[in-house]
Amino acid sequence: MSSNLNTLPRSGSIRRSTSSALSRLGVSAALGGVLLATVSLVNAVAATEVAAGNEAAVAALVAWSFGVATAALATTKLGVAIVLWGIVGRIRARVETMTSVLPRLINPSQESVPAGGTHVRTPFGPADVTRHPPTELAIHRASRLLWAPMLGMGAMAVYAGLVLSVIQSSTVATDATAARALGAWVQGIQFLGEGMLLGGISFLLGTILAGLRGGGAEVQAHLERPVHTLQMPLTAKLFIGLMALGVIVEMAQFGLYAYASTLAGDPSFAILATWLGPLREFGLGLLLSGIVLALATIARVLGFQFHRVTGLIGRPASNEVTS
Amino acid sequence: MTRTTVHRTYSGVSVTRTAPAPNILQHIGRLLWLPMLAMALMAFPVGLALGLARAGLVADGADGAMVAALGHFGTAAMFIGFASVFAAISFAIARILGVFRSGGGGIQEAAGAEVHSLRMPAAGKAFVGLMLMAMMALVAAVIGHVIVGSGLASGGTALAVGEQWALWLEGVRRVATATYLLAISLGLTTIATVLGFQITRLGELPSETAR
Repeated sequence: MSSNLNTLPRSGSIRRSTSSALSRLGVSAALGGVLLATVSLVNAVAATEVAAGNEAAVAALVAWSFGVATAALATTKLGVAIVLWGIVGRIRARVETMTSVLPRLINPSQESVPAGGTHVRTPFGPADVTRHPPTELAIHRASRLLWAPMLGMGAMAVYAGLVLSVIQSSTVATDATAARALGAWVQGIQFLGEGMLLGGISFLLGTILAGLRGGGAEVQAHLERPVHTLQMPLTAKLFIGLMALGVIVEMAQFGLYAYASTLAGDPSFAILATWLGPLREFGLGLLLSGIVLALATIARVLGFQFHRVTGLIGRPASNEVTS
Repeated sequence: MTRTTVHRTYSGVSVTRTAPAPNILQHIGRLLWLPMLAMALMAFPVGLALGLARAGLVADGADGAMVAALGHFGTAAMFIGFASVFAAISFAIARILGVFRSGGGGIQEAAGAEVHSLRMPAAGKAFVGLMLMAMMALVAAVIGHVIVGSGLASGGTALAVGEQWALWLEGVRRVATATYLLAISLGLTTIATVLGFQITRLGELPSETAR
């Protein structure tokens, strides 16, 4: 058997029971994030202070509630990442089950493949046909290696920002300039962390795609059939572009907030702060858009795999979905 | 109908002769993920452009009410984008579930076995409910920003009132966004459950087709 095990996510130790536990843990973390986010409703108190004209109290409340709310959103994102980690384990278990079960289900092969490989058209896009599993794509290797460090660094940045926001709220009354400078650091570092968390989730989706591609090829090679591998769809290419752009924007906003913190006593600070807010949200929007495209790619690859397995068994299904 | 491991392990399994089509929610997901993504990709640059225009007003020392109004409009545009992109993620998850439903059924049908399909698990139902709640809250916040922004621009709303509303709506947006992410985690949990179900069912097929 031409094994492609080295291209699969190194998650063989994540068994099905562990995967269920990860799902429960992820949902619990996300629920904890929602509960933490309700702290933002303290803004109602800040709104009353606005009416009373107590600006220092408003600034102090808004400072720490921003830190807590951003940490809450980061916690829900960590929950999403934990559930995805469980899915990575189940993809691996699915490959193992298919490898052991399909030899007893498939029909004798009439398929052949030229030595140099060829291409076929499928309802899901063009696919390469080779004798052996294809080599792992660089983006898949990077995804496997980087999802955990990205999530770790992202979480650390967001929670460090939370600590800074508490310090900021305590300095508002005594030193407004220092509080503004700290506020710039809080926003920059927390949104850099948010960007890294979404980058980590994107890499986890890339790891799932790596598992589907490598695992699908491994199963076909084990059956001694031509290995059909879907060519990278446009959605996958756009996913990589949007993810890279989103991370770059989040790094840029961090640098610009760091610069803004040096201008805390200057009138230009207000101008910078006015457009940096939308910029940091724009970066997150790009990352989230990339995640949509990654999910769309997963749907396409899964459709292709079901189509291929059904073809190997030999009888077409009556109700095949083509995208 | 044969009572098999999937019936003992998973509650709510339906048995048919042929592969089921995607259900209505999965069909909607297949149709709407791309339009929602397109809307988000249009809204984010508009939000950024309004932010830049607002910074220009601040630099020019423009009227505070106009600056505040543009802040509300910019936030509204940005959160149209976030509501759309979260909807697109939810629809893409529903689309994946539809592929699992039809594809998993297709393999069982092709193998000549009874087609066992998992009915929507509790996590799937919670996913849909929370997603709808979060989307409505985000849309309500966007509408609130537009109304307050219009009031500030026309002079009908005082600056302090506009600031109060900005704080209120910010709280609503944060809770709604967190709820959306919780819904997404439940949608992904449903995918994990379906994967587990299909792995179990696949393991049963050789013994059934041999009968």
